[in-house]
Amino acid sequence: MENEMLEFRIHGRGGQGIVVAAAIFAEAVFMEGYYARAFSLFGAERRGAPVTAFIRAGKNRLMPRSRVYHPDYVAIFDSTMTGASLVSGLKKSGTLLLNSKNDFKNSLFKDIPRDMDIKTFFVDATDIAWKHNLAIGSFPMVNTVMLGAMAHNSGMASLDSLVESIRKRVSARLEENIAAVKEGFESVKEVGSFVN
Amino acid sequence: MAYEMLSGSQAAAAAVQRANVDLVAAYPITPQTAIVETLANFEAKGELGGDFVSVESEYAALACCYGAAAAGARVFTATASHGLAYMHEVIHWCSGARVPVVMVNVNRAIGAPWCLDPDQGDSLSQRDTGWMQIYCSGAQEVFDTVLQAYVLSEELLLPCLVVFDGFYISHTYEAVDVPEKEKTLEFVGEKKFKAQVIPGAPANLHGLTTGDNQILLVKNRHETMIKAIDLFKDVNKKYEEFFGRSYKVVDSVIPPGSTTVFMAAGATVETIRWALPELDDCGLIQLRMFRPYPAEELCAILEAHEVERVIVVDRNCSVGMGGIFSQELRAALYKMEKPPVVEDLILAGGIDLTVEMLHKALEPVNEDRLTDQKWGVDVR
Repeated sequence: MENEMLEFRIHGRGGQGIVVAAAIFAEAVFMEGYYARAFSLFGAERRGAPVTAFIRAGKNRLMPRSRVYHPDYVAIFDSTMTGASLVSGLKKSGTLLLNSKNDFKNSLFKDIPRDMDIKTFFVDATDIAWKHNLAIGSFPMVNTVMLGAMAHNSGMASLDSLVESIRKRVSARLEENIAAVKEGFESVKEVGSFVN
Repeated sequence: MAYEMLSGSQAAAAAVQRANVDLVAAYPITPQTAIVETLANFEAKGELGGDFVSVESEYAALACCYGAAAAGARVFTATASHGLAYMHEVIHWCSGARVPVVMVNVNRAIGAPWCLDPDQGDSLSQRDTGWMQIYCSGAQEVFDTVLQAYVLSEELLLPCLVVFDGFYISHTYEAVDVPEKEKTLEFVGEKKFKAQVIPGAPANLHGLTTGDNQILLVKNRHETMIKAIDLFKDVNKKYEEFFGRSYKVVDSVIPPGSTTVFMAAGATVETIRWALPELDDCGLIQLRMFRPYPAEELCAILEAHEVERVIVVDRNCSVGMGGIFSQELRAALYKMEKPPVVEDLILAGGIDLTVEMLHKALEPVNEDRLTDQKWGVDVR
């Protein structure tokens, strides 16, 4: 982490709190003493439309202002999303975090090139979000659960920093969200080094 | 330093909230919406310090600001793309009427078809309206420039447009040093400009005149705006004393021996700066102030470093001519004894600039030099 920069890409859907999650994560990283930026790309979005967010974290304040094309880390917040574009550019020894009930069932795996040696993690964020009453109508808000999982396996933000940032940025169902981030942190499991 | 994790839009709103503004009139449009939203939240909490007027259109937003500024108020509005285009008539009027107005424009392409990406054509198509234009490369610069714009605008009695890219700045959260309001208010100072509209003293303002009078007014405006280049230096000297940061009208990072420089305005500046260590013998020029145009400063930098080739990154295109920043640079170079070659990397539509594209931009243009333009879409 001395001079290098870590790049994250988050895929999800409008209404899942992707944009807020990226800002919270960047703030937590900043609290750890690194520089961080988070930004999102979306059209005139509606609930359910695909949203992509990017985070950069590093020792240098100076960072490129472009999208992330070669992420070190991809987090897929929505368990129904599939397609090669979600993992495109993921570095050979990168990390993939899935919102998934179980490990090897995700159809994304067929899209991962054969020479990859990525670390794959999964957490049942949808189930945890329901459990903590974090849904708007029938739409589970998985963002804080996924943030907890990202804190656990990215090594860039501590659970304490995340909770502090959530306290600053989230007003609705605050205690439920804090419980969710903690459960996400504790529940994330590694599939094992995944070689396709 | 009191750092906050703010988006570029939130940084703009934070500066407005710390500038003792009397009136904000604004209409939301993507990707500027967060500015209006943040200011409306300040208003709701009683922290804005001035009035927030919800208006029915961008035309009304600027007209409202014009009227208030004419009555001596410190005003703010923000828009983007079609919103800026819709204001066009009042944009001219504010400058001609010599009222200080600070407006933020978040770059976004203009339709048809609808597009949200950060093409700079919206602000550049207001080039000749008599407003100062300053382009920012990040959220800290946005915060600092909005505060400085009030000093420039009120001193010169000319409106000022602060510009930054949609999404790549407006929606990017990053650490921004937000100084105490007490200090920012002291920096911006009390309003000193006179009200044109005075209750109880009716007057006819800006009535019909002739070209013979108009030319004198235009000449005066032109000569006044040129002063912004030196004033910007003074304002930044003061800003440095207050907050430990300062900016130049044109910034440059040109390592010794570099004969090629990239020139850009806005968010792409930081991508280029980041890539410099891997771009052999290349430098960077950041054009911060676009109106008034700092021609002398640009030529001085190019001459001092004996630059032979400038590749201008234009996230815009004047259809039928090419990138606008490159055209302006070419026009400014004619007095140089050995002007550099000026090439153009056109990112019209507001497409992303990657480091790979910069490498490809460095490859020679067509051998027959039929064109000095490369299109971003061809070098991705």
